[in-house]
Formats: sequence, C-alpha cells, structure tokens
Amino acid sequence: MTTVQMAPEAPGAPVTVAATGFRLAARRFSHNTLAVIGLAVIVVIVLFCFVGPFLYPTDQTHTQLSQANLGPSAAHWLGTDAVGHDVLGRLMYGGKVSLMVGIAAGILATVVGTLWGSVAGYVGGWVDAVMMRIVDAGIAIPALFILLVISAITTPGVGGLIVILGLVSWLVPSRLIRAETLTLKNRDYVLTLRAIGGSHARAIGKHLLPNSVSTIVVAATFQVADAILLVAYVSYLGLGVQAPATDWGGMLSAGLTAAYSGRWWLIVPPGLAVILVVCAFNAVGDGLRDAFDVRGRG
Amino acid sequence: MTTVLYLTRRVLQALAVILIVTIVVFCLLHALPGGPARGVLGVSATPVQIAAFNQAQGLDQPLPVQYLRFLGRLLTGDLGTSYTLNEPVSQLIQERLPKTLVLTGLSAVLGLVVAIPIGMWQAARRNGAVDYTVTALAFVFYSTPAFFLGLVLIVVFSQQLPWLPSQAPSGNTLAEVFQDPAGLVLPVLTGALAMIAVFSRYMRASTLENLQEDYVRTARAGGSSTMTILRRHVFRNSLTPVVAMLGYYLPVLFGGALVTEQLFNYPGMGLLFWNAAQSSDYPTLLGCVLVISVATVIGTLLADVAQSLIDPRVKADRA
Amino acid sequence: MTDTILQTTDLGVSFSTESGTVDAVRGVSLSVAPGETLALVGESGSGKSTVALAAMGLLSGNATASGSAVVAGHEVVGATEPALRGLRGKTVSMVFQEPATALDPLTRVGEQIAEVIRNHRSVPAAAARSEAVELLGKVGIPDPSTRARAFPFELSGGQRQRVVIAMAIANNPALLIADEPTTALDVTVQAEILELLRALAVDSGTGVLLVTHNMGVVADFADRVAVMLQGEIVETGPVEDVLLRPQHEYTKRLLAAVPRLDTPESVAARDRAAAPVVQVVEETDGRLGSAPVVDLRDVSVTFGRGARAVHALSGIDIAVHAGETVGLVGESGSGKSTAARVALGLIKPTAGAVHLFGEDLRRTRGRDRRALRSGIGVVLQDPVASLDARMSVGECIAEPLAVHRRGMSTGERRKRVDGVLDAVRLPRALANRAPRELSGGQRQRVSLARALVLDPRLLVADEPTSALDVSVQEAVLEVLTELQGELGFACLFVSHDLAVVQHFAERVVVMRRGVIEEQGTTGTTLLHPTTDYTRRLLAAVPVPDPVLQRQRRAERLATLAAVES
Repeated sequence: MTTVQMAPEAPGAPVTVAATGFRLAARRFSHNTLAVIGLAVIVVIVLFCFVGPFLYPTDQTHTQLSQANLGPSAAHWLGTDAVGHDVLGRLMYGGKVSLMVGIAAGILATVVGTLWGSVAGYVGGWVDAVMMRIVDAGIAIPALFILLVISAITTPGVGGLIVILGLVSWLVPSRLIRAETLTLKNRDYVLTLRAIGGSHARAIGKHLLPNSVSTIVVAATFQVADAILLVAYVSYLGLGVQAPATDWGGMLSAGLTAAYSGRWWLIVPPGLAVILVVCAFNAVGDGLRDAFDVRGRG
Repeated sequence: MTTVLYLTRRVLQALAVILIVTIVVFCLLHALPGGPARGVLGVSATPVQIAAFNQAQGLDQPLPVQYLRFLGRLLTGDLGTSYTLNEPVSQLIQERLPKTLVLTGLSAVLGLVVAIPIGMWQAARRNGAVDYTVTALAFVFYSTPAFFLGLVLIVVFSQQLPWLPSQAPSGNTLAEVFQDPAGLVLPVLTGALAMIAVFSRYMRASTLENLQEDYVRTARAGGSSTMTILRRHVFRNSLTPVVAMLGYYLPVLFGGALVTEQLFNYPGMGLLFWNAAQSSDYPTLLGCVLVISVATVIGTLLADVAQSLIDPRVKADRA
Repeated sequence: MTDTILQTTDLGVSFSTESGTVDAVRGVSLSVAPGETLALVGESGSGKSTVALAAMGLLSGNATASGSAVVAGHEVVGATEPALRGLRGKTVSMVFQEPATALDPLTRVGEQIAEVIRNHRSVPAAAARSEAVELLGKVGIPDPSTRARAFPFELSGGQRQRVVIAMAIANNPALLIADEPTTALDVTVQAEILELLRALAVDSGTGVLLVTHNMGVVADFADRVAVMLQGEIVETGPVEDVLLRPQHEYTKRLLAAVPRLDTPESVAARDRAAAPVVQVVEETDGRLGSAPVVDLRDVSVTFGRGARAVHALSGIDIAVHAGETVGLVGESGSGKSTAARVALGLIKPTAGAVHLFGEDLRRTRGRDRRALRSGIGVVLQDPVASLDARMSVGECIAEPLAVHRRGMSTGERRKRVDGVLDAVRLPRALANRAPRELSGGQRQRVSLARALVLDPRLLVADEPTSALDVSVQEAVLEVLTELQGELGFACLFVSHDLAVVQHFAERVVVMRRGVIEEQGTTGTTLLHPTTDYTRRLLAAVPVPDPVLQRQRRAERLATLAAVES
C-alpha cells in the first residue's frame, strides 16, 4: 500500500555514499537552512510533548463538563474541548502518542523494507522478480483503503496500530534499498571479495549493509514523516486509540464538526502540530539526502 | 527489443500483480470475523445460516480450491452483493467509479500541469528566494492531511469568503456532475495541491540532475542558450522519471479521493467505500479494494507505456 | 601575433571549493596559429582541461579566470554570456572526452547537429537538417541520411564521437578544441578519429588545440607541444624537439615513463645503434611442461537467450602456467574482461571447463572451492571502487586473511599487513588511513597488497593501471614486476594497452569478439603477428616518436587503401 504522501525521493537514482565522511556530511547538512530549522522544530516539539506536561499540568483523564467548550483564556491557553479537557494539555498528551507511534511505525517499516529489498536485490533472478511483484501489488492497494477495511474488522491497541502502520508502509523503502543493493553488489570490492572466496554473508554484512546506511537513514526519516501523517489519518478513519487517550489525529477528528461552528481552537492546534512535525521530518530527510549525496552540488 | 515485446512483458507483469492483489483480498475475506459467511450474510447472521452458507458455498473445501472458485467468480464479474444497499457490488461500482476517475483525473492533470513547470523553473533558479519559498510551501502542502486541507479550503472559500460551494456536485451521472463545475473546484484542488507539492519536488530534483549531465555541456559548447537547452533537451530527459513516478502516485491519489469524497459529500467510489466501512458492508468493501487496485495497476502500466513513448531506450533495456 | 586564432597571456583560473581556493591554472601563455595543431599535454591535475574550458568560456560557476585569452580577435576572459554564446559553436568549438554521455539521449543525432547550425545562422529547419546529413557523411558515418534519424544509443562509441565532431565543425570554426577526444575509444577507432580530425583541420585551415595525456597521440597529430605541470607550462616547442629532445626535467621523466611499443622498425633501429638491449622479458615456452595454474578449455559464455543472445566468449582456450605472465589484449567487446571473470569464478561458463590449480571448478563445491579461491589475488581497474571506503586501508588489506585464516591473531595479522605494505613500497602508517585519503596510484598498490596477502599462486589483474597517470602506472608496474620475480606467482594480465603488455607479459593472447585471434610469446606475436587483425591493431597504436609515427601512419594508410581497392 502506498502511504498517504509518498516520500519524495528523487526519481530514478538511489542515494549513494561515496567516500564522504560523516563530518563532511554534517557540515553540508548544517548549511541547509530548512533542514536545520526542521531539526530544531523536532527537538522543540519532542520537549513540548514530553517535558511540557510537567510545566503545564492538566487533567486528561477525567471529564469536566462544566468547563466544556471554552475559548482560549488565561486559565486554558488554548481553551477546552467538548468534555472539558484543556486543549493545550491534550496537545502535549496526544503528541506523545502520535510521535511514539509514528516513529516506531516508521522504523518498523524501514527495517522490514530493508530486509525485503536487500534480499531481493542481492539474490536477483526469479526470487527478485517474485518479491518485487509482491511489492508492486502492495503498492497498488491504497493504504487508506486497507486501513479503513481493518477499522471495520477490529480496533487495535497502540502496539497493534504500530504493526498495522508498519505493514502498510514497508513497500516504498524496500524498492529504495533494493536499488541500492543492486548498485552495491557490483562494486569492485564486492566482486574481489567473492572472487577470493568470501561468503555471501560477509559481502552483505561487512560491505553492503554498512554502505547502505545513509540510504537507510534517509528512508527511515521519510518513513517516520509518512507514519506520523498516517497516524493523523487513522483516527479520522476510526482506527485510532480509545478515549480518554488520544493523539493529534483523534483531536482533529473530534474537532471536525466544531470547525464549522467557529471553535477553531479545537482543530487548528492539532492540525498545525501535525503539519509542523511532518514538515520538519521531511525537511530533515531532504537535508540528509543532500548531505550524503555526492552529485547535485555546486 | 521491439515495442510489442516490451508491452507484452509489462502486461504480463501487471497481470501477475493483479493476481497477487486478488490473493490479498481473498485473505482479507477470510480474516473477517465470522469468515466470508459473515461477510456475505451480514453481521446478524445466525450460526445456522452460517453453517448452511458454508456448506452451500463449499467453504469446507481446502483454501486453494476456495481461492480458485473465488477467482472464477471474479472473472465473471461477480463481486457479491452489498447487503446494506441490496444491489450487486459490481453495479454499484460501475455507477460510482467514473465519478471518482473524473475527480482524480482532474486533480492529476491540474497537478502535473502546474508542478512540472514550477519544478523546472526552481531548478533553473536554484537557491533563489523563489526556490526556497516554493520549497517551503511544497513541504507544508505534502505534510498536511488531506481532510485538514479540505477543511481549511472549505472554511476559507465557502464560509469566510462565500466564493465556492462546500459540497461537491451530487448528481448521479457524469453529465449532472459537470453541470455544477463550481462544486468541483474545492475537491479537485484538495487533491491537486498535495500532488503539486510532491511532483514539483520530483521535477526539480530530476531537472537538477539533468543539468549536470554532459549533453548540457555539449549543447552549451554549440552555442545554445539556457532556454533552448532547457526546452529542447533537459525537459524531456527530466520528464521521464517523473512520468514513471506517476504510476506510483496513483494509489495516493485514490486514497486521497476517499477522504475528499467523504468531506465534500461527492457520490463517487470513495464515498461508497466510506459508507460501506461504517456499516461493515464487507462485500462492497472488498469489491472496491479490488477494483481500485486494478485501476492503479492499469494506471501504472499506462504510465510506463507513456514513458517508453518519451524515452525510446526503455524498450531496449533489459531491466 | 595578430594572426593567431588562440592567444592566451598569463591565463589563470582558480576554483572556490568546500575546502578553500584552488589555483588550477597559473600564468599560462600559449598560442595556436591557423592550420596548426598545438597539443597541451599533462597528467591529471595539470590544468590542461581547465585551459581548454576557459578558452570556451565554459568554466563552472565557482571558477574565476584572470589574464587574457583571445580567440580569433575576441577576448574570452570576462566576456558576457551572450558574447560567448556567439563564439561557441561558430568561431570555436569543442569535442569532449566521453562520447557515451555527450549527446542528448532523447533527441535524434541529426536534430542535434541541426541545432548547432541554427544557433548561428538563420537557416530554415529543413535546410539545416539536410546540411546535418551532409556533415554526417563528411565525418565518415555510412548511410548518413538514415543514420541522421538515429538516437545516440543506437550508435557505437566511435560513431557518437563522429557526431560530436560533426557538431563541432558544422559552422566552420576557426579553432577546434579537442579534450581527450579519443581516450575513451578503442585504439583502432582512435586512429580513425585522429585521421578524421587531421583531414578536417587540413581541409579548412582550422587551428586545433588538442588536450591529451597520450604521447603517442601527440606524436601522431601535433605540430607543436606545450607541457603542463600543476597549472603551469614547463616546456613548449615543435613536436619533434619536445618529444625527441626534451629539455625540462618533468618532460624527460614523463616521456621516460611512457611504455613504448616495440615495432619491427624500432627494434631494427635499436639493433643498428648496436646498443645491447637487455631483454627484460624471457621468451621461453619451456614451462608448457608443467600443469597450468588456471586453464580455460573450450569456454563459451552467452548472455541472454534466442535472437538477442550476446556471445561474449565462443570456445576459447587460455592457460596460464606457474610463474608466467599472460597478457590478454583486445578492444571493447573482445571478451577479455569476461574471460578474466570466468577465470576468477565470477561468471559461470555456458559451456566448457575451467580448471583452477588442477581442479575442475564444476566439480568442486563449498569449502573445497573456497580453499581453491584462496590461492588467487585480484586487482581490478577502478581505484575508487576497488576499496570499501568504510574500511581502513589495513582492514581492506587484511580482508582475505579474515576470510581464509580465521585463526590468525591480531598481532600476526598486523605483521602480515605491514609485510605486504613494505612489498608494494608503501609506508606502514598508511594502514590506519581511510582509502579516500590516498591517491589513485596508492590505492591500486593497496589493492595489489591485498591481492598478495595470502601468497597467491595466481594474480588476475583486469586493467590495473588503465585509470592511472603514466608516471604512476610506471611505478605500479615496476612494483608488480619486482614482486613477481620475487614471489613467483602466475599472472593473468588483461589490458587494452599493447605497449604495457609487451613489456610485462611473456605470452600474449589477442582476442576479438569473443574469439582468440592468435596467441604466442610476446616477442613473436607482437612483433611479427600472423593475423590481419593483430597487424591492424598494432599498426593503429601511436608511438611517441613523431618521425617513426609518421612512417607508421603512412604505412597504415597504404595498407588500408590497398585493402579497399
């Protein structure tokens, strides 16, 4: 299944690391304004969600109907929702879930995709063909459709959600890693190793994987961005976490009807939060890709 | 390799993919609580009904046999019957699919027509103020959930500035749909904006890569101006990989249509699917998944064919 | 002075890079007269290509040019882009090194030529197209009216270069700049392209600035020579003076490092000079008695199926005996690299048998096969890709030890690595560096060290020095020869450079399109070849002696004319 927005990797060429040391890459990254801003935003938001509640404690489990639907005020900086929860506090609380699920699902997708893609790329032949046809089939089914079907069947917990999102997203990274593996396995140093009797395991473990690290890291960053966006969709689709827990998608969902009646504080903050974080991860991923890529400079 | 050989190979690949999709759908069918019987008879089926159904349908047979029968039914166009609407699923889809195709088609066309020139222009004026601004906007737009974007559009253009209707045309036939073009604007825009964001990035990256190529230097050495080089050489070379990407973006477009149709109340396949999910109408759900996936595979195939038309080397490649 | 078509005065170019400013060219003053060919010679980093690009105003964005470069009366340094555009393709044109990527892959070649024409003359499209067809004929493309509609990928490398040349001469430029125009081509194709360029220059009185590192090409084509070293010109003069009586130290060193092909004439001249030349190469066939170290018997390799099958090798027999060096030569598509890979076990033959150290590779599996492989050392062409950038030099060299001698302690391993580094004459401290900190020559020697660390009985080297500068190549080959003398391993040496093979190998195998044309001892085969193909191949190699080369060229043309009539 393709996820909601595809990681915008450059069409065609896979990312390759030449002999650029990490120091050089780090320097390049630091010159990319958008990427650095993105990194800063991520740090700020992570602090906001995990440290914020200590600085701005609110009650997110008990309903307080007397305090429901109030606009922003000194007591509640972003107002309250339909059952009286403080919106700003809920933003932090929901953010924890969105971030954790998104990051975990993104990493899971990358790990699965890396395994699948590297095996397909390395073994080649009909095994590769079959594995890639399966990937094509998976990509052909829109992720949102599958998620909606699953929501009609079951309601998963947080762990289940991570697994489902990961399973829906691993396809695109697998293609990237496969392309990278195909390039690397024909490098002279791999051929030399095979010629003198080195094993496949050694070729993969000592040469292919370490040299794919930058591609994998870039892919992981984009996958996390995609996953956080997907998390925002799932509550809209009815797959989200159950009350009183919530995430940003849940807040958006719950607040949708309110938007038409002018209670903007229920929907704008979570929406902006999602956009900001996903944007930031995409910017960082873009910056990493440019930093590691040797071509396209100057 | 001739065109015919290349096309044949691609078509065979596409068929293999479709086959795998049917397997996935079949597995989903059997993953439903209560099994396919529940899926067909509905949530309120009694155990007696289920047992009778199972026997009648041969659901006591081994799975591979069941799959073949399932495949057989598909080939005759039998997608089951929606039990909430009491109509054959294939008929429902037949009514609704064209409208979804119109919506996504318009979004795609608008998206490409805007994204490609923007991307090329960004590459030609790399690192300028405009490049940064457009890049930042692109990031924002493809980081925005479609329903949020749609919502913002509705609030701004329907509520605050009463320029456009917030509901899409609700006609049943295509003709009726087109009689209310204003209603189509916001839904199409919702899909197109995200696509512009993604494809302008692709085009920019592809153009940047091509600007580094040797043939650009050869053309410059011949006295060609930058405009000529962009127009006659770089454009087509940059376009090929982007066209290939179009095939992979189709599922995203269709997924987006799901959300957009629900938000704007547009009676296409997406809305059908959404309602089916709310009422656990499994036959419709699975039929839609199947059809939309097939549509995607066909779309990818067409994109590949388009690519081979632009780039004659594709046919000669062995990849 | 006023009738020179290129005059540079104190030309300088500096680049601003991530690691600071680099002065690539300093104080270069040279001139090219109409109808004259000036060769600009140097190794990598000499700045010769930068001078060529500066003359066209094609320097990259981060370059700053100083001084003056006047092309047919127009100052290029500091000129505006529109002014430069008016010159490029009309007054001055350029032919580049890499024909594979020089043309737009999606436009037909006739259109690309027509574009250059219409850039400078208002000619209707149809007329431009027919002129393009004429030009294709002029540069020697057969059936030009059909070929004009071909896409670049449908043409061979040599044909693509001819198209680039057609684009360059389309508007009768006063100056033609050729930057390594034949380096990427086979030697026979190179001879043809040089012939073409010379004919065109003579016909139209065009001045040519030829940038190259190949002294043979210089001897064949140039009237005058300018030698560059690290951005500066160290010697200039007529070609015979510079090549036969070099004055500057660097020029002398450079010429001494060039491997020279012995031809019957040069050997005869040497004998006449009565200087006893020590035959470096032993010419014995006596070793045929012992069992071969690697033996390819009736090996065929076919890629693909049916009508589109590519027969890379067809029934070849190659044997390398202990202690001897066999050179495998041929042009592109000859199958020499495929044969080397079959010998390495990287490609399985479609038919025929490969015996390694006496064992049939088809009948060995797993551990036995790996044990066999431990007796092989491998050196491949690309110095960048031959070492994994993520490992230190020491780790790269020790890798065969990690594969086959697991039991070795770290100390022993260290000693072994130090030992081979000494053998290839590299400092031991290099073991802790990363490959990217090394030069190309150093990297190839590290590759060699890695190949030797297990005391191999067979070394397979596929174009090990082709990507290196001539002086670096000399150093690497010296080390290789010395080590072979000491350690006595057999060597299968694949190369396209006949001169190198002649001095390094005892036996030579000449391949063409997957078949062996002839084989024999180097002395006999390369001096007195028995097949036409080998004769043509040898005749096409330019030697760095202008007088001799003129003779050879005349002979070669006479032979070709005789064949045609």
